[in-house]
Amino acid sequence: MAVPSKYASNVKKALGSLRRSNNEGLRWRMLDDAKGQVLGRLASQIATVVQGKDKPTYTPNREEGDMCIVVNAKDICVTGRKLTDKTYYWHTGYVGHLKERSLKDQMEKDPTEVIRKAVLRMLPRNKLRNDRDRKLRIYAGSDHPFGDLPLEPCGMPPILEPYEMPPRQVRELRPRARRAMIRAEKKLELQSQGNTDNRKSKKKEEEAEISG
Amino acid sequence: MTRIRRGYIARRRRTKIRLFTSSFRGAHSRLTRTITQQKIRALVSAHRDRGRQKRNFRRLWIARINGVIRERGVSNSYNRLIHDLYKRQVFLNRKILAQIAILNKNCLYMISNEIIK
Repeated sequence: MAVPSKYASNVKKALGSLRRSNNEGLRWRMLDDAKGQVLGRLASQIATVVQGKDKPTYTPNREEGDMCIVVNAKDICVTGRKLTDKTYYWHTGYVGHLKERSLKDQMEKDPTEVIRKAVLRMLPRNKLRNDRDRKLRIYAGSDHPFGDLPLEPCGMPPILEPYEMPPRQVRELRPRARRAMIRAEKKLELQSQGNTDNRKSKKKEEEAEISG
Repeated sequence: MTRIRRGYIARRRRTKIRLFTSSFRGAHSRLTRTITQQKIRALVSAHRDRGRQKRNFRRLWIARINGVIRERGVSNSYNRLIHDLYKRQVFLNRKILAQIAILNKNCLYMISNEIIK
């Protein structure tokens, strides 16, 4: 996990941990507007994507989520008075050492931790959690060292129009089938003709017999 | 009474059990008493999990269908899909829907569109 203190060291660490995690065939998703998005709602979306739950090949024991890049983490929004009142607590292990830090201070110290904590706490606590953590890349500003990779924008999907069926491709008839069809058509024609002919001819015959 | 040895009766019984447990790990395939215990546990697990297997697969299918359907819009979800399927009396079960979702996503979208109308 890259420690986002300085950008240069960031690049190395980011690319380094890339090699460790197996991410062939995974998509790189870019959620670039952490700007103006509400913290929890964004985190819940990221958690779904990182788990791979939006894919039809989701398997709970394998880790196949997409890599998520979050950018502009310092512009994340929270509602209400959470900026001052939301506190992060942790205990160091020593008696009486319950420490706390408010959201505001955390944002000043390290804004990416806010999103990271939010997402990690939304993931299921199992053995895959660490791998999923490695798939999350969060950046405070808008620079990220993955500019060259094919990134897909991710966000709330628009209400798409109903999927239209592509025009039906009618395969042309194979020779034998076509000949059969032609024969059938001819038969139909003959029948319709033959009906009228038969009637007339029969009548003529009868008249001929009667007269002859 | 003369002394009677049991001979190979017990050994014959135990070799059958040993064959069953032959691929287990460590002492579970080597020590006689452990072998009998492990065979019983294995069979019990198999029996219990045959019932669970049905549950597990249904969960998996539901999760997969849900994932694919939610991509299609904000208010689309698995529960609405199932409700609409029941309303229109389409009897596709979740296994088939999940397979359609994997192989031919657009087909599933078409089905859901048809049903919503």
